[in-house]
Amino acid sequence: MAGSVASFDEASSSVVVSATDVSKRYTRGTEPGVLGRLLGRQSPPTVRAVDSASLEVRTEEIVGLAGPSGSGKSTLLHLLAGLERPTDGTVTFRGTDLASLSRRERTRHRLEHIGIVFQQFHLLDSLSARANVALPLVETGVGKRERRRRATDLLERVGLGDRLTHRPRELSGGEQQRVAIARALVTDPALVIADEPTGELDTESGRAILQEFERVAENRAVVLASHDRETLDLCDRLLRLRDGAVVDQPSRGGPRE
Amino acid sequence: MTIRETLTRWAGFVALGVRRTVSRATHTARQRIRFSGLGVAVAIALLVMVTGLSVGLATSTTVYDDDIDYWVVPDSESPESPLVATDSPQFSSVHETNDRITAIDGVESSTPVLAQVLRVGTTESDEYVLVIGIINSPALEDVSGLNTDSLTPRDPYYDDGEYNGTWTGEVVLSEGTAELLAVTTNDSVTVAGNRSFTVTAVESHSADVGNVPTALVQLSELQRVTGATTYDQADQFVVSTSSPAVRDGLEGIYPQSSVQSRGEMTASSTRNSDMALALAATALTVALVIGTLFVVTTSGLELVADRQQLAVLSAMGISVTSQIRLVGTQTLVLTGLGGVVGAVCGIGGIWLINAAAVRTVTTEPIAVVSPWFVPYGTGVGLLVGLLSLPFLVVVTRRVAGGKLR
Repeated sequence: MAGSVASFDEASSSVVVSATDVSKRYTRGTEPGVLGRLLGRQSPPTVRAVDSASLEVRTEEIVGLAGPSGSGKSTLLHLLAGLERPTDGTVTFRGTDLASLSRRERTRHRLEHIGIVFQQFHLLDSLSARANVALPLVETGVGKRERRRRATDLLERVGLGDRLTHRPRELSGGEQQRVAIARALVTDPALVIADEPTGELDTESGRAILQEFERVAENRAVVLASHDRETLDLCDRLLRLRDGAVVDQPSRGGPRE
Repeated sequence: MTIRETLTRWAGFVALGVRRTVSRATHTARQRIRFSGLGVAVAIALLVMVTGLSVGLATSTTVYDDDIDYWVVPDSESPESPLVATDSPQFSSVHETNDRITAIDGVESSTPVLAQVLRVGTTESDEYVLVIGIINSPALEDVSGLNTDSLTPRDPYYDDGEYNGTWTGEVVLSEGTAELLAVTTNDSVTVAGNRSFTVTAVESHSADVGNVPTALVQLSELQRVTGATTYDQADQFVVSTSSPAVRDGLEGIYPQSSVQSRGEMTASSTRNSDMALALAATALTVALVIGTLFVVTTSGLELVADRQQLAVLSAMGISVTSQIRLVGTQTLVLTGLGGVVGAVCGIGGIWLINAAAVRTVTTEPIAVVSPWFVPYGTGVGLLVGLLSLPFLVVVTRRVAGGKLR
């Protein structure tokens, strides 16, 4: 775990993911067809969700994205995860331009290198906590025994060793989010992305989740988006976004305790 | 990825699909899963009921006898097979042939059988009855479930090729026939409106034969009544034996005939009935079409409703191919379970049909129940799942990888 600003500036700290002048525009509605154009229908308006944003995230660094709703935090996270392609600019993961990968390659890339934690957990209701955590390992072709062992280890690490066979509905919100964190870590990703990880939790559960994130950042990079002050205080570096653009980086390299 | 990893991944997603479906059916999405499975189950239940009816229709003409091990029947598939052809193939010179069969080592008893549905009546009423002509012998105990002891042995009216022996006028009636005609032992009845017969016994059917109105008479006397004396005709031979070696001797009796055991006879009767085959094939087609349309509709809608979950799987790095494996397994598990439930319900439906038929229309069960209907229904259920898969693959491909909310 990085303990100070200086450690991020060291040449040895490798860049995991970087975005350079990344923009993402969405079209509201569909383009008019030939008949639509003949009838004078205009092209639908576009919305710029991310506007020329740039950032680098290094190993053992926790980067926070702050900003009001609609400021582009989630879209920027999706671009960093390779869930979406930028309209302009480049997103590179350890030197590989994600836009150059096919859809299948980007899916494989996420499986192997990226763990995602969602605000609403998004666990599969019909599976136990352990089966949810082990799910990505099924895709990687890991055998059943090894899947169970790794999932059990991770759930024990997040304090859910006695909840292995519980279904998500039998768990509290905080416990579900810890299952989601364990699932995000099960493939040992280099980058963990979290979108409002404490947004659905009460204060106490939120604090417990933040402690998990501090542990998560060992040997990997973390990018999280949040409105919550306490969550953002955890970050080594903070980027404020407004209307899709990075407007401020107020606490670059702030030490974590 | 190595072959082993690929296989492990396959097995993992199949196991996951099974687990997920069972868990959803029992815990998290009971109503939705049960509704989808119910659609398949209804289609399969209808299939099983119609199949039971068609098999029942096809096998209802077989003359069963507890003591008889082999039937010798004309080969209806050969163009030359009808030794005597009226509306169906028949054997000729059956009295002489029966003597040859009886002479075969190991044969305990043998009789030609001529079965005709005729009007049997009294001065007050008459009814259509299945009249069966046989040659009785001391070793022959039952034919069509009726005891033959009350008929004089060796068919005395037939005398060395001529129909001028002693006319017995004996008839054994089943209880159902006697009740219909309101007659009892020693009463007189007419067969086919002309000849008078005396009721020598009223017998109850054995339990597995049913309650068809039946009458047993001497073969030659039935031939005389029905005009089958010209070629000494009968429909089949029933042979009682405890020796399997007898079969070889029976196979040389007529050139275009086949020798069948009880099981073969039932199967053959079913095979040879075009109507039954047509009914069963129609039921299968309808079940496949209805079942597939139902699964395609319900599962398709469910996939669209579940798009957020598929988007999450994509975000986690689960490939579309693996998602298709998961959806495919879930569909097959669901339709397989629907098939099992449908088959069991269909068998229950057959019991109800038979009960209703016996109470209202017929005197015996009209549909057949077989334990084979369960694997049949399950197999058709799985086939429904397989037929639905291409559409579900297309829907999964379109839905998977959607935008996360």
